[in-house]
Amino acid sequence: MVELVPSLLRQELERLAADGQRLDGRGQFDGREVHLEVDCLYNAEGSAKVVWGDTIIYAGVKFEIRTPWPDRPTQGSLMCGAELRPVAHRKYEPGPPSPESIELGRVVDRGIRESGCIDMDELCIVPGEKVWGVMIDIHVLSDGGNIFDAAGLAAIAALRTAVVPAERFDVGEDHTLKVNGTPIMASFKRAGGRFVYDPSEEEELGGDERIHITLGDEGHLHSLQKGLKGVFTPDEFAEILAVAEQKCSELREMVAEKEGN
Amino acid sequence: MSSGWFGEKSMSEGRVGAEQRLVTPGMVIGPSSGKRAGSGTIAENNEFIATRLGWLNEQNDVVSVLPINSAYMPRSGDLIIGFVAEVRNNLWFFDVNGPFQALLPMSLAPWKVEFGSTRQHLGIGDAALARIQEVDETHNMVLTMKGVGLRRLNEGAVVSIPVNLIDTLRGHNNGTLSRIRDATDCRIIVADNGRVWIHGDADNMRVARNMIQTLNEEGHKKTFEGAVEALENERGEH
Amino acid sequence: MGGYGDVKLLREDGKRLDGRAIDEMRPVTIEAGVLPAADGSAMVTHGLNVAVAAVYGPMEAHPRKIQRQDRAVIDVRYNMAPFSTGDRIRPGFNRRSREISKVTAESLESVVLVERYPRSKIRVEIEILAAEAGTRCAGITAASVALADAGIPMRDMIVGVASGKIEDTVVLDLDKAEDNYGQADLPVGILPNTGEIAFLQMDGDLSIEEYNLAMEYNHKAAKEIHEIMVDALKRRYEGGEA
Repeated sequence: MVELVPSLLRQELERLAADGQRLDGRGQFDGREVHLEVDCLYNAEGSAKVVWGDTIIYAGVKFEIRTPWPDRPTQGSLMCGAELRPVAHRKYEPGPPSPESIELGRVVDRGIRESGCIDMDELCIVPGEKVWGVMIDIHVLSDGGNIFDAAGLAAIAALRTAVVPAERFDVGEDHTLKVNGTPIMASFKRAGGRFVYDPSEEEELGGDERIHITLGDEGHLHSLQKGLKGVFTPDEFAEILAVAEQKCSELREMVAEKEGN
Repeated sequence: MSSGWFGEKSMSEGRVGAEQRLVTPGMVIGPSSGKRAGSGTIAENNEFIATRLGWLNEQNDVVSVLPINSAYMPRSGDLIIGFVAEVRNNLWFFDVNGPFQALLPMSLAPWKVEFGSTRQHLGIGDAALARIQEVDETHNMVLTMKGVGLRRLNEGAVVSIPVNLIDTLRGHNNGTLSRIRDATDCRIIVADNGRVWIHGDADNMRVARNMIQTLNEEGHKKTFEGAVEALENERGEH
Repeated sequence: MGGYGDVKLLREDGKRLDGRAIDEMRPVTIEAGVLPAADGSAMVTHGLNVAVAAVYGPMEAHPRKIQRQDRAVIDVRYNMAPFSTGDRIRPGFNRRSREISKVTAESLESVVLVERYPRSKIRVEIEILAAEAGTRCAGITAASVALADAGIPMRDMIVGVASGKIEDTVVLDLDKAEDNYGQADLPVGILPNTGEIAFLQMDGDLSIEEYNLAMEYNHKAAKEIHEIMVDALKRRYEGGEA
């Protein structure tokens, strides 16, 4: 369902931007409160719940044993998918996965995959015969804006706390999944003409293009995505990239803290 | 709308809060003898049963439930704030925060509109203050913009509140609303469909918006009155 | 039912493997209003099951052909999250979830005052985040609380409960092992005020006497769960009050 964009909302976002303000009183690059919980679902081998403002997202990790590809006999596989089901908002309709669902899953997937945090050779059980397939499923329960960052956070937290269920598959002892890094996403939305960090539902409704940046532990870029209609300048990107570095390291610390528990 | 007993009750709820009884759908309220079933209740086997989540109310031998949450159900005569969802050559369709869109024929617009020139007056996404002229039993709705104050809303902001909090926001004889208007120095229109129009300078609009946010978060907890008082004290209006 | 063989489900002391008495249900917790984006919502944990329900509407029924001129339709989607079970479930509708969605919708239509909203639909989304036998019942309970939370008028809520049979013994509320290796499962949806039944399924093998006993357990459990449902709604709205 295409949502109606009130003209007054766009007008007010512009006026607030000129004043350096936002609808909910935040500064341009302030994020909302984030709560992260890990190991919260029975049956998932790794799980996380993220409450990010009014957005609520679960991620669950499952393992399967599969035959490796002939050209990569020692390599397992990683897949990350997302579902934007109608539970999450009145704007989402039932039916096959929407382009929006697929984009969300693929952007999170790229950030994790390209960071190299999972060594595919570590997922080998018997070369040429048995490897682990790791599947991260992102389940959006409430879309209150900025589902990308919340989904990325839930996915990496679930992955980093996952236990490989080797006993259940009769291939050794259960062990924690080795994850070498914590890629984190930071998203920006043009609202009222300028970019803001962590857009709210209203800013998403009344704004323009969005940019998603996934950074690894060393501050390297691992995935970028520009979505929706609009164009931006190199200077704008430089500004939000600097903000992203700071936001990503804050969230990376939050993940590390949860793992410690 | 109902600025009578409900408004008075809202003002005193803070004091009698503990005595209020919350009922859930299916809950037996009590024997039905000598009383009538009001909204949110049905009579079954000589008993009243609640059909909605809300506060039990008895007034002049009518037992009813004041719902805590409620979708907007348009009634003829309601003042509404609508957003244009679709434009045809001779009419507009408005989103009025209800299950169905409402129709504004060009003959009931406040301007002299030529066939085919509707878009010059109101485009998609534009907001207007209108009245519901009529609603039939299957929710078909006609709007009118002929009437005092009905107009296109060119400035300001529209925020939403649950329709069951409208009376709390207005207060008895619009008393609470007037106090918020004074304290924030904003123009505020509370429409019957749960949309509130605010207009003032940037700072004041932020304060007014925060007040409505407080109502949305705390409204059912009857602390809104206290928040209005706190605002007045803070702004030195008293 | 998965059939029964050598698997022992009752202990020497007559208790079940998890220590429950035969007429004891797993712990149930309910929270109302958990999803900010929805018009009404609830989360139910029943044992290790986690069910979340969201309600949207009433809204115009689309497509037009599903519209009823004299009442609202209830559009239920019961869905298991891919990570909710032992083996991952491929996303999307399957025959099982379609059937459960259909009968759940029809039972909810029996209590919601649907004639109040002609041509409308009320969307009920049930998501199972963790499954350990009994998800359809947890889903019905969650949907009822979510409908109440959304302010939808109903003549009663529906409580989802199940009893079954293990080792020729009728027991309340089968867990995963009991469901897999037991002899019968009888999930029902009960209207707590009248004791009427809005949802009924059964599979396995039960004598009439066993059915009656299983139903007796179900009615008893429905009362207990109903109190938790009411309490969840009260906690949400009475919270800050003196």
